[in-house]
Amino acid sequence: MSIHKFGTDIIALLYALVKAVQVYDLNNDVVQTAAKKIVYSLKTLLNIYSSVQLVRYMDYVFFNKQRLRFEIDGYASLQFIHDKLKTLGIKSLSFLPGIDKEEMIIFASIFKKKKEEFTNGYSSSGFKRILVEFSTEEDEVPDFLREGERIKRTYFKALKVTRNLMQNLWMNQPIDVKSSRRIIYNLIDSLTQDEFGLLTLTAIKNLDDYTYNHSLNVGILSLALGQRIGLSKKSLAKLGSAGILHDIGKVALPKELIYKSERLTNEEWELLKKHSDYGIKEIVKARGLDETGLISMTIAYQHHWNYNGSGYPIHNKNESPILFSRIVRICDSYDAMTTPRMYQVVPYLPHFALRVMWKLRNVWFDPLLTKVFIQLLGLYPIGSCLELNNGEIALVIRQNQGYSEQPIVKIILDKDEKKVDGKVIDLSMNSGIKVIKPIYAQKYGVNPATYFM
Amino acid sequence: MESGPRYIIQSLAKAVKVIQMYHINHPSARNFYNPLYEKITIYLKDHPVIEYQIDQFIISNRGKAVYKEDEKETSIAFRLFRNGIRNISFISGLSFHELIKFLKIISKISKDEDIALELWEGDFEHINFYVVEEEDEVIDYKVPDFTKMDIDYDAKLREIIARENIDLSIPIKPNLAPDELQTLKNQIAEAEQTSGIPLAITTLISYLNTEKVHEIIDILKELLELCIDNRNFYDAIRIVNKLSEYPDINPVAKFETEPIIIGFKDVINTTHQETFNEFMNFISFFSKKSIPYLVRLMTFAKLKKRLQDLRKAVAYVAQDDPTTLAILLQDQDIDVLVNTIAILGFIKSNETITLLEPLMNHHNAAIRTEIIIVLTELDKAVRIARYLDDDEEIVRIKALQSLTRLKYTVIYYDLLNRIKSKTFRNLDFAEQREYFNCLVANGGHEVITQLRKMLFKWVFFRRKRYSVMRKLSAMALADIGTGHVLDMLRRGAKRRNKSISSACEMALRKK
Repeated sequence: MSIHKFGTDIIALLYALVKAVQVYDLNNDVVQTAAKKIVYSLKTLLNIYSSVQLVRYMDYVFFNKQRLRFEIDGYASLQFIHDKLKTLGIKSLSFLPGIDKEEMIIFASIFKKKKEEFTNGYSSSGFKRILVEFSTEEDEVPDFLREGERIKRTYFKALKVTRNLMQNLWMNQPIDVKSSRRIIYNLIDSLTQDEFGLLTLTAIKNLDDYTYNHSLNVGILSLALGQRIGLSKKSLAKLGSAGILHDIGKVALPKELIYKSERLTNEEWELLKKHSDYGIKEIVKARGLDETGLISMTIAYQHHWNYNGSGYPIHNKNESPILFSRIVRICDSYDAMTTPRMYQVVPYLPHFALRVMWKLRNVWFDPLLTKVFIQLLGLYPIGSCLELNNGEIALVIRQNQGYSEQPIVKIILDKDEKKVDGKVIDLSMNSGIKVIKPIYAQKYGVNPATYFM
Repeated sequence: MESGPRYIIQSLAKAVKVIQMYHINHPSARNFYNPLYEKITIYLKDHPVIEYQIDQFIISNRGKAVYKEDEKETSIAFRLFRNGIRNISFISGLSFHELIKFLKIISKISKDEDIALELWEGDFEHINFYVVEEEDEVIDYKVPDFTKMDIDYDAKLREIIARENIDLSIPIKPNLAPDELQTLKNQIAEAEQTSGIPLAITTLISYLNTEKVHEIIDILKELLELCIDNRNFYDAIRIVNKLSEYPDINPVAKFETEPIIIGFKDVINTTHQETFNEFMNFISFFSKKSIPYLVRLMTFAKLKKRLQDLRKAVAYVAQDDPTTLAILLQDQDIDVLVNTIAILGFIKSNETITLLEPLMNHHNAAIRTEIIIVLTELDKAVRIARYLDDDEEIVRIKALQSLTRLKYTVIYYDLLNRIKSKTFRNLDFAEQREYFNCLVANGGHEVITQLRKMLFKWVFFRRKRYSVMRKLSAMALADIGTGHVLDMLRRGAKRRNKSISSACEMALRKK
């Protein structure tokens, strides 16, 4: 079993115990059995690790420094424990060797209570083998989360690899297949460690030429969505490669067309649409006919097929796009809508892009995947600028798992629209602060990228 | 046996060294990795995981160095570290197969090998590892330029809302209902199992349905080769079907060579009937050029049914033109000859007899037998009757069976005379029985009288020997099986004559 699996098992067992003490008397068999199970698991783990620790930071829960991903399986238990830790103001929860059933049951019985009762109950019960560290106003980033630089390196390395790949295809130069294969695994590992680190970088936009930047962003968004729905690492590798390669057919089109700043004529538009067809042979050049190449070929061809059978290239309406193509379709549209381009100087705000996608679910987009995508990004994705009910302007810096309308924000402008290095507020914490509407940061001369890099 | 993390990593290092010197399958290598697997398994019985941290020349477990080797060429720590691997764990449930795959990867000597990439692609279930990206490369990144533009952003926003007709009052509830979650899970399970080849073929065919593009055709041809190599005839047929729409393309031409066709011998004896059936469909696209090789391929068939199917498939390839097989009728190989004759039987052409004429009296009984089968298919009873005097019993029996099937009434009196002749009693029982079967098939009403006479005939001498004739007559009567005949047998069974009664009883029992 992986550490992640150990962690999700402990979360599930803790969830079961807390739920049991909410319903039954502490001496009831259901409670006793649930406690016995978690203690047995903890004891097994304590044979390997000196302690078993759950840490909450922002909307993450870590099990012995390994972040537990919110996946569609086990979502409810992780969400519950996360919310509990948050509302009780617990930063970390450590289980030490020697833990027994009785201590566990008493802990569960106070864990179910409200913050004040929990705090009092914890200090008066004298737990010896369950240690709680409470959050302070400004919790420091856990050391194992200080991966920001590494994630940035991975992102920019991936951008470089994507650029080289497309440029080499453009110029008929040899392709460095190994680098492009390797970078996908780096991206997967980075996403596993910190999903939102990479997603934040996809929100910055225009870090490079649109074609390269967009290709990489679609790859990352697809990986994040794929990871959220629980795809295996092997499938993620295929999906990520395919996401990056989805627009590769554009290298077969005249550069003037790709970089044209005015609106395209109908003829030019028809030519541009050919990139889905051309993608096939470019992928064969870039990847050969290995499993990833074959899947990527299909995705490049289908990434403009709509859920209802419409879209291009023209195809039999009964032929449905495969799951991976439907994922890339969503990520491609989202990134395209939210990125400024020559002929779209003002892009869609992420919130409105998601609203358009919500409206077009069942028509253009797979409805279930659209839901998961919105769960992943939240209704106000990272990088969104929000007007708050207290008159301040804030920037979304983190998602709040399970609270898609209440992200974690940083105040960037005060009530007088003056730039400030404001505090970080978790909008899900009943502070009375609410979102009025999303706005363009540019309106206030704010460059969100400066906050993330 | 010592099985702690220190011993395990040291055994692993030794195993890697030996694999590099010999080969993974070499007995010396086995002597190292078999005990290594045992050590790991023993340790993992009590511990869910063994975790190692990798440094440049040192490997540690729970902070303690358990392996140290400063020599870059031989150090496994250095080999892993150089590839960015900083942590490796073996998890309970590790299979022998996984360990071997892992050892193969980390034993690769070439400096060009990317061990991290291979470990990633190895998709290990019970081996975890953590890789960091090379730090030696300078990657510049800076905040993208930002210039404030003179744009009315609020107006732009209103424009987008109006254009997209966005109703901001509509709530967005992205939670999945249980049935939606299940649907998604099913879709994921299906996607995880889907192979790239059928998908790519569907895509390429879809493309060609709108436009004929040579590059796409070439990719399909490459995929066709891949399918054939993988014995995936189902997808191969999909490709061939599509490419056959183009008159200037013969997608199977490349496979119509002797080495490739003979190479299909594994397919004709495969345990997967479906693969064989798909192979049969696939060869139906072959041209006449492939026939000699396909006939040779038949000699490898181990199952009679499969052989027959192959013969039918080749008959289809020959397209009702028996002359394409003429050259093979001169072959010296008996198996080739037999198969060629059998295929001619399926073609059912008038030219067949002419082609077979030189072989009618071939010295080999198998050839003559096969010819009888073909003659049967062509309804040539007169020619078959000639084989009643063949030297080989097997040929005569085949001829009798064919005449039975064809109902050649002209032969009736000849058969009767043969049965009544003294030499008939020298034949084996099996052949005698075929004579009676043939007699019944070609005899009409008169045959009952004859059989009754033979059954109840009163004999003085050689009674015991005649009892065989009674049995054969009784069995033939039972085969006719009308009420009148069965009454006759029942009465016979009550006769005092033991030879008659036992023949009748036996016939009735078998009935």
